[in-house]
Amino acid sequence: MANRERFALHVNGQIHVVEAEPTRRLLDVLRADLGLTSVREGCGIGVCGACTVLMGGRPVSSCLLLVSQVHHQEIVTVEGLGGNGVLHPVQQAFIEHFAFQCAYCTPGFILSTVAMLEKEPDLDEQVLGEYLSGNLCRCGSYLHILKAVRTVARGRQHGFS
Amino acid sequence: MAIGRSVPVRDAEARVRGAVAYLADLRLPGMLTAKIVRSPFPHARIRHLDPRPALRIPGVVAILTAEDFNRPGAPRLFYGVDRKDQPVVARDRVRYVGEPVAAIAAETPEAAEEAAQAIEVEYEELPAVFDPLTAAKPEAPRVHEDCPGNVFLHTRLRHGDLEAGFAAADLIVEETYTTPPACHAALEPHGVIAQWADGRLTVWSATQAPFVVQETLAELFGLPREAVRVIVPPLGGGYGGKGYVRLEPLTAVLAWKVGGRPVRLILERSEEFVTLTRHAAWIRIRTGVRRDGTLTARQVEVYWGAGAYADITPRLLRSAGLVRVVGPYRIPAVHVDAYGVYTNLPPAGPFRGTMSFEGAWAYESHMDTIAHALGMDPLELRRRNLLRPGDRFCTGEVIEEAFFWECLEAAARHVGWDQPYEKGEGMRRRGRGLAVMMKSTLPRSRSECRLVLRADGVLELHTGTVEMGQGAHTALAQIAAAETEIPLERVQVIGPDTAQVPYDATTSASRATSMMGAAIREAAARLKEEMRRRAAPLLEVDPEELILQGAGVTLRGRPEVWIAWEEVLRRHGLEALEAHGVFETQGGLDPETGQGIASPHWHQGAGACEVEVDIETGKVRILRYCAAAYAGRVINPALATLQNEGNMVFGLGQALMEQIFFDQGQPLNANMSDYQIPSLRDLPEVLESVLLESPEGSIHGLGEMTLPPVAPAIANAIFDAVGVRIRDLPITPEKIWRALHGE
Repeated sequence: MANRERFALHVNGQIHVVEAEPTRRLLDVLRADLGLTSVREGCGIGVCGACTVLMGGRPVSSCLLLVSQVHHQEIVTVEGLGGNGVLHPVQQAFIEHFAFQCAYCTPGFILSTVAMLEKEPDLDEQVLGEYLSGNLCRCGSYLHILKAVRTVARGRQHGFS
Repeated sequence: MAIGRSVPVRDAEARVRGAVAYLADLRLPGMLTAKIVRSPFPHARIRHLDPRPALRIPGVVAILTAEDFNRPGAPRLFYGVDRKDQPVVARDRVRYVGEPVAAIAAETPEAAEEAAQAIEVEYEELPAVFDPLTAAKPEAPRVHEDCPGNVFLHTRLRHGDLEAGFAAADLIVEETYTTPPACHAALEPHGVIAQWADGRLTVWSATQAPFVVQETLAELFGLPREAVRVIVPPLGGGYGGKGYVRLEPLTAVLAWKVGGRPVRLILERSEEFVTLTRHAAWIRIRTGVRRDGTLTARQVEVYWGAGAYADITPRLLRSAGLVRVVGPYRIPAVHVDAYGVYTNLPPAGPFRGTMSFEGAWAYESHMDTIAHALGMDPLELRRRNLLRPGDRFCTGEVIEEAFFWECLEAAARHVGWDQPYEKGEGMRRRGRGLAVMMKSTLPRSRSECRLVLRADGVLELHTGTVEMGQGAHTALAQIAAAETEIPLERVQVIGPDTAQVPYDATTSASRATSMMGAAIREAAARLKEEMRRRAAPLLEVDPEELILQGAGVTLRGRPEVWIAWEEVLRRHGLEALEAHGVFETQGGLDPETGQGIASPHWHQGAGACEVEVDIETGKVRILRYCAAAYAGRVINPALATLQNEGNMVFGLGQALMEQIFFDQGQPLNANMSDYQIPSLRDLPEVLESVLLESPEGSIHGLGEMTLPPVAPAIANAIFDAVGVRIRDLPITPEKIWRALHGE
């Protein structure tokens, strides 16, 4: 393999040094090299949101990013949420509100929701639409996803982070 | 009681942690990457195919072409669940853009990709034909040499005296409706891993039909069934697209050529659009009606564009393709002619709401045209004609569970059908519409299961039902728990794995909960009987006096006498007690008359909506939609509601957005930017789900019932709003605008 370089990725609070061609997609690095299989390929062109990760707290499509673009960036995948066996409140709400069917899209939706809740103090329909219309659910669980998201948003107003 | 409760799906935590292992997450030692070389032409002779330049690329392990099938001991080239017309890879001739002509196994995806580019193929283009109606003309180019006119099957339904029926009518209405090919677009693409060891084949596949895959592969390689093992991980969506046999033959033969190493094929998104589509359908419907709204006769002629290979279409045409295009109405005379037609497009197959979607699009839009011609309320016209319990359908079947009216009435009520509303005057006009549908499930099929009660207190349910997001494993575990009275937490679901679980036909046609559920009930009854028989001597009573409860056996009327099942097993020196359950339905229609049994029970759903049409742009906004289904006995209300909402959202895409555009057979929008599916922003402003329950009723599947009404309900509402009748799906703003402007 020609042109392999070393890149330092901060993923889920850990530093990983990977050797890869600079044009390797972040999606492939996360899945194949780091074994983070919650990050999934759906469309490969940044439309469906199944490969969403957080970069510096922002939801991004990892199929559209090259490893050379994320050198020293903070990346979070669903594997990095919660901790010590405890689920993140968004994950908990997705279970309580039956917010998925096949769940292929679920990690992407959860990360978009986490980012939205951290960045946006007021969740009106406009904000919800902007953050969550970049994730597609072919099973059509949208109403339940919205219920889960609104429930966590209300909980946030009542005090938990 | 485990039934009727909204328990979360069994692996809910793994699902929100992203820890569910789909096919693409499986890793086997030494696994190779497969890549398909596909035809760029819709119809061509292969003049020359040379894989040698690709073999020199480092990392390329094997290349499969049609030549390999000439070797001694080679598998068969052709397969197909009904007629064996489809080659694993094309020999001599390609029949659609995207047809596999070769397949590569390589160490890395990069090497496979490079090899795919290096294989030299020369084609000589042939005349091609794309729409089913043109293809069915005698002078049309032949997709298959042995099938002049391209009609590979013509089935008929004949009920009553059609001529007399039309003679008795005051009005005869005839219209033509069409639906284009569409893509299932599961977010998880198709994927298969195949590996050979000691003459035995193991296949991991994202399939809805593990036993059909097993049977097909065994036949292809001339092996006994047991030599082929099919394992199915959870699916990231199916919707029919992963039904029957897809890429398993190609991957398995490529792995056979490789020798022992596992070979993995995962499709790229663009390949999904040429793997399986919805049928392109052309439907002419003609109905006779009396002035009071009584239907007197109906004649339906349907051309089902099957694409280049027959696949499942012949089977569908013998029942679904006839009975799903008539509508849930009492009509004294009905004739249906259904034609299965080859075209130079990718094969068509099952698609959530298969053939009911196309059928309802025609007959429910048509009902509103009739109502309008009669000056009658569309709800009233349907009320006068809908099948009621005890009525006879056009197949001769008496419909016992008939709740079409109740579904339709509930949906209508939720959108305030009998209330006046503002139709609007300026650029935005409002309208209301409704639709109802009737769908058969498989007429003849079998589901089996095994229950294993273990000494450690666990009840294993061995089942071939595929979990694809519908929550089937959860619902089936609930049925197993309820029927055995064993706590749900102790029920473990095992399968699908053909080496471990007994036979099941397929997970499709909304049959799993109903059919597998019935098999579980039978197995549970046997298990309880066996348990009582074993426990009786220990308690020195008759088996009839014992009941299975919780984690043990107790004496009827004397709860203080109790014995744990572990104890029963231990005292008999058993590690487990097993019971087998089988549920089988019989039926089928006479091929000449369409008379017989089309379905063990009928799926029933309706929808009603209020829409707003922007007459300047043709854009439609759904203000309110209500989807109502007859649900029989509900196992898990939350999962049932999810299915119902999913139908609506899926249907919305089919109604307003989705079509694979083919230009001379070339797909123009084979990506998810140009082929859009509904996002959260496309939802109706209000979406309501109604499940009509009947605790005494049978268990019904719910994965499709309210999908087919979506498109006609919306089209009917658009007609009500702006007086424009759209007859070709999808209902795009452009079509509405053109119709409004008289184009």
